Amino acid sequence: MTNRFLTHENLSKLVADLVAANTRVIAPVPAHNDPQKIDYATIQKLEDASFGTQLPRRSAKEFFLPTTEVLLRYRDGKNGFEVEEVPTTAKPQVLLGASPCDVAAMEIVDKVMNWDYRDELWFGRREATTIVSLLCSKMDDTCFCTAVGLGPDAVRGSDAMLMPIDGGYFVRVVTEKGEALFKNYGTAQLSDAMYAQARKSGEEAHKKVETNMPAIPADFAAALARNFDHPLWKTMALRCHGCGACASVCPTCHCFDIVDEHDDAQHGVRRRNWDSCQTQRFTVHGSGHNPRASQTERFRQRVEHKFSIYPSRFGEILCTGCGRCSRTCPGGMNLAEVVGEFRTLAVSAQEGSAQ
Amino acid sequence: MKALQELASKLLSDGTVKVVIGYEQGPRGVRPAFITDPAQTSKLIFDRRCTQNLATYLNPRRKHIAALGKAGVVVKGCDARAVAGLIREQQITRDSVVIIAVRCGGVLEDPTSTAELTAETTSPRCGHCQVREPKLHDHLLGELPPAPPVNPRRTEQIAALEKMSAAERMQYWNAQLERCVRCHACREACPMCFCVECRAERALPQWVDPSPTARANRAWTMMRVMHQAGRCVDCMECERACPSNIPLGLLARYIADSVEQRYGYKATDDPGVPAPLGVFRTDDGEEFIR
Repeated sequence: MTNRFLTHENLSKLVADLVAANTRVIAPVPAHNDPQKIDYATIQKLEDASFGTQLPRRSAKEFFLPTTEVLLRYRDGKNGFEVEEVPTTAKPQVLLGASPCDVAAMEIVDKVMNWDYRDELWFGRREATTIVSLLCSKMDDTCFCTAVGLGPDAVRGSDAMLMPIDGGYFVRVVTEKGEALFKNYGTAQLSDAMYAQARKSGEEAHKKVETNMPAIPADFAAALARNFDHPLWKTMALRCHGCGACASVCPTCHCFDIVDEHDDAQHGVRRRNWDSCQTQRFTVHGSGHNPRASQTERFRQRVEHKFSIYPSRFGEILCTGCGRCSRTCPGGMNLAEVVGEFRTLAVSAQEGSAQ
Repeated sequence: MKALQELASKLLSDGTVKVVIGYEQGPRGVRPAFITDPAQTSKLIFDRRCTQNLATYLNPRRKHIAALGKAGVVVKGCDARAVAGLIREQQITRDSVVIIAVRCGGVLEDPTSTAELTAETTSPRCGHCQVREPKLHDHLLGELPPAPPVNPRRTEQIAALEKMSAAERMQYWNAQLERCVRCHACREACPMCFCVECRAERALPQWVDPSPTARANRAWTMMRVMHQAGRCVDCMECERACPSNIPLGLLARYIADSVEQRYGYKATDDPGVPAPLGVFRTDDGEEFIR
């Protein structure tokens, strides 16, 4: 792959050309309903984007798994029951300036989306999207991407990464898609100084997050599973409202619910909507029995799924350390704190067995 | 706050309560604390960052908290109104909870902030607060601090909305509700949303479509706010909990003002005052029936 250098004007031209070619360009922008906050949304020109210092409120997952989407339409007509499926191919789109934690999440979630069933809607959008991440400068003390093997400079899931350097952007091209997007823009003539500056800014960003949390050890999943009945779950879950706001802002939470909604007696749609294991309703059976009877079990489920169940099934942690859940939680729950508590237990168990 | 810590320690030691629900310093600002051990009461704090309404945790639906046993709860005046609401609506009995009230000088809108109270940082609900010294209490702590600065944001927003045409208002709310994902965090954080089964989750009949479409988001939000008429204590926890920052506190304030104008009822920390929509009065104007 050939790395490139783009000036701000080059990037602006790229966006303009994409928009002119009817390609949807999505970037962080001041939120529609609250300009103090940032959302990912469609832009018409580069100036609409805000690459500033704040992580978007929600991750970018909604551009692959929308908050609500139609799966099929049905009609009870003269010829019986008719079903019309929706197309699984998506229009081309470019996600520009996305945070590395949001981008890495896509590849992590790919695994479950292609597990016992291939989710064509998800992969239709994945294939139609070119992802250009931006070296992260938005970190605060709630971030812990480096502890889960990522980082503000991690290119996992990116087709290319923009790294701001003097006079524009060093573009680290990662995939063919990224190469195709940038090939006619800027220059491939890169000086050693450009490489050095990009490398240095990446390393500096990485260091800023590293101090927040040490790397999660490989045996953490086993430690969590072993402590399934630990009393800490109960005490930590007390302040949890069970609202699921954490899941709605999370880049890796991907659970959905499927519902039928009737337009009238003959017509209806089947939709899938975001769902969350934090709600009472998520596991309640038709009989009324709920295997996760209280918030203790629901809170534990979210943590176990991310750090034990998903790793045991797919070989990796279902968390990119973005910290959004902790920033959003109205009850003051903190995922880094939870991880810290159980890490201590994992370490003390190791020490115990060594003796 | 020493008096608070000493009182909590005494209540836990003598078995009056099994848990004290108060505030502690968390990893990100102040957060709710559940103290069951008298030795842990030194964690308890009370200051301008204690924004959360802890009455939410008294909701009997929260089985994991109810299982701890009788609770003592730290309340500000606004929160005491929620405790009164729960008693008024027979969710809890007065003797099932020990109310530890603290005289309040206003709180920050954001409990993770470290700012001083100013016209920008103070919760808009604190402006002209009439219950800074709650009457509903078993214990009343602290000296009465000076009144907080008034954050005019919400009053100004409501005035601006009232000047709009119906079409403009619809446009405003559609733009806001576009971001609603129907996580229902507003409901879960609300002390007065205690229904065992929310109408939003009834499938037979389907009162509100579960999908976060424009139509269903409007229906959900309007239904919730209408169900809060004469019940909302204006703690703004719904707005604080919303991950999409939808200004739900505007609707809450508006419905509370409407109830006050029509029925002369204002949210109160006196559980003996009947709910405006739960009482029959022969002098009721009933002007909406004609």
